[in-house]
Amino acid sequence: MKRSPVIWVLIIGGIAITLALPLILRDKQYWLFVATQAYFWAILASSWALLAGYAGQFSFAHIALMAIAAYFSGIVGRDLGWSPLSGIIIGTLVAGLVGLIIGLLCLRLRKTYLALFTIAFAEIVRLAINAELDFTGGPMGLYLEPLIQTTSYVPYYYLILGLLLGSLAFMYALANSRFGLFFRSIREDEEAAAAMGVNVVRYKIMAFVVTAMIAGLAGAVDHHFIGFIAPSELIIGRMSLVIAMAVIGGIESLIGATLGAIFIHFSLEWLQQIPIPAALMPRIVEFKPALENLGFALTERAIQTNAWRMVGFGILLMVTLRFWQNGLIYPIIQRLTRQEAQAETVAKRQPAPVEETAAQERSEE
Amino acid sequence: MVDITGQYMLNLLLNGLLIGVIYALMALGLTLIFSVLGIVSFAHGEFYMIGGYVVYFVLQRFTNLHPYFAVLIAGLVTFVIGFIAERLLLQPLAKGEIERPAEYAILITFGLAFFLQFLMIAIVGPFPKKAARFFDLPEISTDILVTTATTLRIFEVPLSGNRLIAAVTAAILISATIFFMAKTWLGRGLQAVSQDRQAAAVVGINPLKMNTLAFSLGTMLAGMSGAVLVAVFSWVPWVGVPASGKSFIVIVLGGMGSMPGAVLGGLILGVVESLGAGLIPDPGRALAYKDAIGLLIFALVLLIKPTGLFGRDL
Amino acid sequence: MNLEVRDVVKNFGGLQALNHVSLSIDKPEIVGLIGPNGAGKTTLTNIIDGVYKPTEGEVWLNNERVDKMPPYQIARRGLGRTFQVTRAFRRMTVMENMLVPALALHPGANRREVEQKAYEVLEFLTVEHLANELGRGLSGGQQKLLELGRLLMLDPQFIILDEPFAGVHPKLQEAIYSYINKAHSDGKAIILISHDMDSIFTLSERLVVLHFGAVIADGDPAKVKDDSAVIEAYLGKDEEEDEDA
Repeated sequence: MKRSPVIWVLIIGGIAITLALPLILRDKQYWLFVATQAYFWAILASSWALLAGYAGQFSFAHIALMAIAAYFSGIVGRDLGWSPLSGIIIGTLVAGLVGLIIGLLCLRLRKTYLALFTIAFAEIVRLAINAELDFTGGPMGLYLEPLIQTTSYVPYYYLILGLLLGSLAFMYALANSRFGLFFRSIREDEEAAAAMGVNVVRYKIMAFVVTAMIAGLAGAVDHHFIGFIAPSELIIGRMSLVIAMAVIGGIESLIGATLGAIFIHFSLEWLQQIPIPAALMPRIVEFKPALENLGFALTERAIQTNAWRMVGFGILLMVTLRFWQNGLIYPIIQRLTRQEAQAETVAKRQPAPVEETAAQERSEE
Repeated sequence: MVDITGQYMLNLLLNGLLIGVIYALMALGLTLIFSVLGIVSFAHGEFYMIGGYVVYFVLQRFTNLHPYFAVLIAGLVTFVIGFIAERLLLQPLAKGEIERPAEYAILITFGLAFFLQFLMIAIVGPFPKKAARFFDLPEISTDILVTTATTLRIFEVPLSGNRLIAAVTAAILISATIFFMAKTWLGRGLQAVSQDRQAAAVVGINPLKMNTLAFSLGTMLAGMSGAVLVAVFSWVPWVGVPASGKSFIVIVLGGMGSMPGAVLGGLILGVVESLGAGLIPDPGRALAYKDAIGLLIFALVLLIKPTGLFGRDL
Repeated sequence: MNLEVRDVVKNFGGLQALNHVSLSIDKPEIVGLIGPNGAGKTTLTNIIDGVYKPTEGEVWLNNERVDKMPPYQIARRGLGRTFQVTRAFRRMTVMENMLVPALALHPGANRREVEQKAYEVLEFLTVEHLANELGRGLSGGQQKLLELGRLLMLDPQFIILDEPFAGVHPKLQEAIYSYINKAHSDGKAIILISHDMDSIFTLSERLVVLHFGAVIADGDPAKVKDDSAVIEAYLGKDEEEDEDA
C-alpha cells in the first residue's frame, strides 16, 4: 500500500522544526529545557505503546525500569567511579535484565493480573529505593554526574532528540518486521498465535526486554542531564502520565504516542502559568478571590492552574478512552496518510462478485 | 533492636488485627465489584480517600454531629459518585459497546483514579488533614483491662483507642454488609448475578442494574473505610494509592470475588504486616518496608496461584 | 507420516475427560471424529495440539514424541488446527493474518513472495477482495475461511478442523468443501470434527466415535453407522447437553 506524500511533508517538516528549535528558542532557554523533557516522555510513552499497544502487555513497571537504569548508572558512578557513559550502558543492560525477569514471571499472567503484578513490582522498587539509604540516598535522592560538561541546554537537546528519533526508528523497524506481526498476533490471541507456530514465550519476553532497555536508556541519559533522581519520581502518578500520553496520542501507534507525549508535556508546562494579556488583566483581577478559592493563583501576568490542569487531563483521558479508543492524534495521522490506500482498497473490491454474499451473511448475523 | 517478648508479640498481633479489619472492609468492596462486574477497579483507593475527606469536612462544619452520622454521609457521597462513574464509564463495558474490554476496564478505572486524585488536590490542597477523635473510650479499670479516654490496655498491652474505635466501626459495617448480601433480596440478586449472569437475567434480575448497584456499594464500602480511618491517620489526596494496593493484595490473597476470602485476607494482611514490620531489627527499614511485605506476598500469590486462597478464575 | 495418540488419559480435577484414548493416522485420509457433546472431542484436539498436557499417555508425531512440547513447536512439526469458535486476529488485516504462520515457519522468507502466495490462497478461498480488511470486519463464515487460509500458509501434514461448517453461509461452505478436497488430494491427513452428519458422511473415509472420553468405534463410516454402541451413544443419552470440555 502506498503512502501519501503528506506523510513525508509532515515528517520532514517536523524534523526540520525540531532541529531548528534551539535557534527559535534562543531567548527562551526554559522552553528548550521543556522540549528535552517532552522528548524524554515521548520515548517512555512510545516504548510503552510498543509494549502495551502492539504486544498487548499492559505493564505498569515502565517508570520503575526507567528509574532502575538511572539509579544504577548514578550508583556505579558515585561508588565505583565509572564514567556516565559506561554507567548509562550498564544501567540500560540492567533495565533489560529486569525486563527479562518481569517478562518471565508474567508469562502466565493475563491482562488484569499482569497490571496488578507490575504495579506491585513498581511499588516494591520505590519502597526499596526509599529504604536503602546507603545505596540510593533514600528520599533525599541521588546526584548524577553530567554526561556532557556544558552549561547550555543545546547539546542535551540534540542528544535527547537523537535518542528519541533513534529509538523511534528502531521501534518502527521492529513493529513493521515479522516481530511486530508476532507481537500483534500475541496481543490478539495467544493460543491461536501458538497454533500458527509463533513462539509466544520468546516474543513476549522480547517485547519486555526491548522496551525496558529503551526506557532504561532514556532514563539514564536524561537523569545525567537533570543531575538528580529521587524516589518521588517513581510514584504511580508518573506512570499514569505515561499512560495518558500514550492513550491520548494513540496506544497502537508509535508516532501517535510520541506526539501525545510532546503535546501533553508542553500543555502541562504552559497551563501551569497561563499568560494573560495586560488588557484583560484588570477584568480577571475582579474574580481574584473566587479564583483563589477554587485553587487557582493569580500573578501579575498569569493565572496558575496548579492541580486543575491535571484534572483536565484526567477528564481528557477518560473521554478519549470512552469515545476514541484509538486515541486523538493517531486517527488524524491516519486520515492524512491513508487516503490513497483507502482508494486503492475500494478499487480492488469492485470486481469481486462474492462481496454480496459477505454482506448478506453479515446482515444475517 | 527491640526485645522480642510475648507481650511485644501480642501487641503486634492485636494491632495487626485492628488494622486488618479495616483492610477487610475496604477489600470487601473491591471483591464485590469484581464478583459482579468482573473487573478490578484501580480507583478503589480514591473512594477511600474521598470518604475520609467527607467525614473531615462534615465534622468540621457540624461539630456537634455524631461521627457515625458523618460516616453515613461519606458512604452516601461515595455511593453516588460510584453510581455516576459506573453509569458513565463502566455501563458501556457491560453492554458490550467497548471493543477491548479487559484493557478498557484497566485503563478507565486508572483514569478515574488519576482524575479523582487531582480533583481533590485542586479542591482541598495537598496539606495533611486529620479529623478529631470520634469519641472517648469509657473509663474502665479491672485487673486485665484498663482504659483511659484515648488508650486501652489489655494484659498490659497498650492499644490506641482511635484504632480500636475504627476497627469496631469497620466490624459493624462488615457485619451489615454480610447481612445485606445474605438476607436481603438485593443482596441475593447480586450474588445470583455474580454466579451466573444469564441465569439471573432469566429469573428477572437486570444484570446491568446489579452492576451499577455492586459498583456503587463497592465504592461506598471503600468510602466508609476511609471515613472510619480519617481520625486515625492524617489525610492527603494521594492517601488512596497505598489503600488501593492493600485492597488488591487482600483480594488476591483471599481469592478474587470471594467475600469470606476478603475478610480473612484483610486480617491476614494486617497481622503479617504488623509482625513483619515489628520483627525487622532496623526500625528505619522496618517502617519503609512495612508496605513491601504485603506486596511481596501479593507478587508471590499472583505467580504461584493467581486465583488466591478461595478464588475462582478471572 | 504418522500421528499417534497412545493410551491418553486426561483429568480435569476429578473429572475424566479422556479415558485411555488411542488413535493412529499414518496415511493421507479424512478421519471424521464425532461424539455427543462433552464426549471429549475438543479435549482430544487440545491434547494433540499441545494446549493441554495429557495426564497419562503419549502423543507421537512423525516418530517424535510431542506431548511435552509447547503448541508452537507442534505446529512447526506439521500439525495445524482451526478452533471451534473462530479465532482470527481481529485487529490485523486478513493479509497480516496470513503472514503470521508463514513468517513464523520461515523467518527468512521473502516478504513479497509470501504475500503473493497468501494472495493466491485467498483467491482459492474466494476471499481475496478482503485482503486489506481487518479480521474483526469479517462475517463468521469469512473468519472460518481466514482460519483455513492461515492453515494453508502453515502447510501442515495433519490438519484438525473443529466444526468448520458451523454457522457458515451455504455459499462459503462450498469453499470449505473444495478446501478439504484440495488438502486431501495434496496428501494431507485431515481430522474433521463436526455435528453436521451429512458432511461427515460425505467426506470421511474413516470414522472415529468418542463417547464419555473413550473411543467406542473406529473404522469404515458405513459400518460404524450401524454399530450398536454408536447408536446407543447418540440416541440413548441424548438428554446430556453439557458444554464440550
